Amino acid sequence: MKLKLNLPLLPTTAVGSFPKPAPLVEARKKGLKKEIERLEKEATEKWITIQEQIGLDVLVDGEFYRGDMVAFFAENLEGFKMGGLVRSYGNRYYRKPVIIGEVRYRGPITVRWWKFAQSLTNKPVKGVITGPYTMMDWSFNEYYPDREQACLSLAKALRKEVENLYRAGARIIQIDEPALSARPEELLIAARAFKILTQGIDAYFITHICYGAFEYIYPQMLQLPVDNFDLEMSNSNLDLVELFHQHPFTKDISFGVIDVHSHVIETVEIVKERILKALEVLNPKQVWIDPDCGLKTRTEEEAIAKLQVMVEATKQIRETL
Amino acid sequence: MKVLAANTGSYPKIGSSPDKQKHREAYAKWEKGEITDEEFEDIQREVIKEVIEEQVKAGLDMVTDGQIRWIDPISHFTKNLEGCELDGLLRYFDTNFYFRQPVVKDKPIIMKPVARGEYTFAKSISPVTVKQVITGPYTLAKLSINKAGVDFQTMVKWFAEVIAQEVHALSRLGRCFIQLDEPAILKHPEDLKVFEEAIHEVCTEKRRSKLYLYTYFGDVCPFLSIFEKLPVDGVGFDFTYSPKLVQTLNERGFRKEAVGLGIVDGRNTRLEDPKSLLPVFKKLLSAIEADVLYINPSCGLEFLPREVAFQKLKCVVEIRNIIKKKLL
Repeated sequence: MKLKLNLPLLPTTAVGSFPKPAPLVEARKKGLKKEIERLEKEATEKWITIQEQIGLDVLVDGEFYRGDMVAFFAENLEGFKMGGLVRSYGNRYYRKPVIIGEVRYRGPITVRWWKFAQSLTNKPVKGVITGPYTMMDWSFNEYYPDREQACLSLAKALRKEVENLYRAGARIIQIDEPALSARPEELLIAARAFKILTQGIDAYFITHICYGAFEYIYPQMLQLPVDNFDLEMSNSNLDLVELFHQHPFTKDISFGVIDVHSHVIETVEIVKERILKALEVLNPKQVWIDPDCGLKTRTEEEAIAKLQVMVEATKQIRETL
Repeated sequence: MKVLAANTGSYPKIGSSPDKQKHREAYAKWEKGEITDEEFEDIQREVIKEVIEEQVKAGLDMVTDGQIRWIDPISHFTKNLEGCELDGLLRYFDTNFYFRQPVVKDKPIIMKPVARGEYTFAKSISPVTVKQVITGPYTLAKLSINKAGVDFQTMVKWFAEVIAQEVHALSRLGRCFIQLDEPAILKHPEDLKVFEEAIHEVCTEKRRSKLYLYTYFGDVCPFLSIFEKLPVDGVGFDFTYSPKLVQTLNERGFRKEAVGLGIVDGRNTRLEDPKSLLPVFKKLLSAIEADVLYINPSCGLEFLPREVAFQKLKCVVEIRNIIKKKLL
């Protein structure tokens, strides 16, 4: 672990999002700009306090200012327009962004939120951006001749956001890439994009990947130039641990031990079992502990209870190490 | 050689304008129990009528019902099977669309075929030929969780029996056009033997119907010889994932009663320029020996906004027209 921060063994963290308070959802629906900003700040403050009280080691800003993780960045970059409605499942629809021109960085996207969150706490706050591969894969592309060129152009634009986060003081930067495992044959494109994003920046880089068939990109994915892979482990029945048996995991890992799609609050014992399972194949110095994914789909009570269980289980395991 | 313009499967259930929100609004009410199953079905029928009209307006020779009743292509054929339960959501191939994953606990038993009713209704309101889409047994088995304690081969066989019954029920209506979707095989050449057996089983029930095998979301090049020999009446290709498909077909040739050419990209909003594709079609026409060529999108159109989906179909029709005028 190249981090110079003084973190305990098995540092605990969250992936990114927390549930949006009802008044904020309402204000967003009505488009009340000033009210939205006030409520977003209020929610950020509240959740920094909650994370501190629960005892997380590395905090997140909660992403209250984001709607969709791709649309938010698309709206803040040049070269995109908002597309029409597309169904994602059942009766859920989203607006899929369209790349219609050269993608360019217009200016800081998340930096002021990171600064605000970090100003509220002495614990380190992660900078979190949506990665270029996912931005490309989850947008329509009417401008670039192929997927690779779209992805690399996005990486060049997002590199500036990474630089600005670093300049502002962020030393842990997370690149969210849920789409990464969808096309194993494109892992090389992602690797090139990651190099553009991270090269020469002395931050500790995490990449969050979820909902994918990791068996197709492991162990090749270890070549991505990041320090830590944040993977959902509980939703996949810890199947990945078997893969790590066959091929050792050579980087740090944020090991997802909380199922974010279930209302059921895990017991401390279950979470301890999951951590111990990780430690069968991983050195404790490699391992961070977190939920599978962002907690925005849970209620506030569920999210808090799940994080409390996670921290308690981690503490109990730490004592045995 | 006949050249026809066709849809490949799904069509967006809603559009951007306020008058195209019917399905979404009814679905929300139905979920909350504010309208009955029958009332929801009535609205779905209205939407099916609309999307068939749109396809006809675009100029297609062959339409589908837009798969308006389908929540996803996997649970649609498994949700009512005895022996199957539905589990959590999983990403559908490399799309940003999700399906509910079936858990197979015992040999699945079909209670009532789903495709026959859909086809009958669509046919009753469509002025042009209707094609019924069915998800193939291999894809259903591959995307299910196996908790029946049997091997994968048995799972595929079980699903082949289920889908054969869907085809049987359809074909008793007379000569139907059936599209069997098997996207999953493209990523798993190791399963070809069990795949072939399943397709054979399904084909035994097709009687006078025309059964077309469609694959997408992967490179079909390594499968051409096998697909040529399968007892299906036609095959449909997705050209967007196969950079070498045109060249490969051109070199080896391809022979089948019907071939579907999915060159118009069903996944991206960029509209193709039909005229610039002329050289590609020229090559394909000289390489393919078929009675019928279908010009269709590379996959179902539900991955696009409704307005773009319509433009894509118009593009398909324009390609058909240009081919007829300049290449035949």
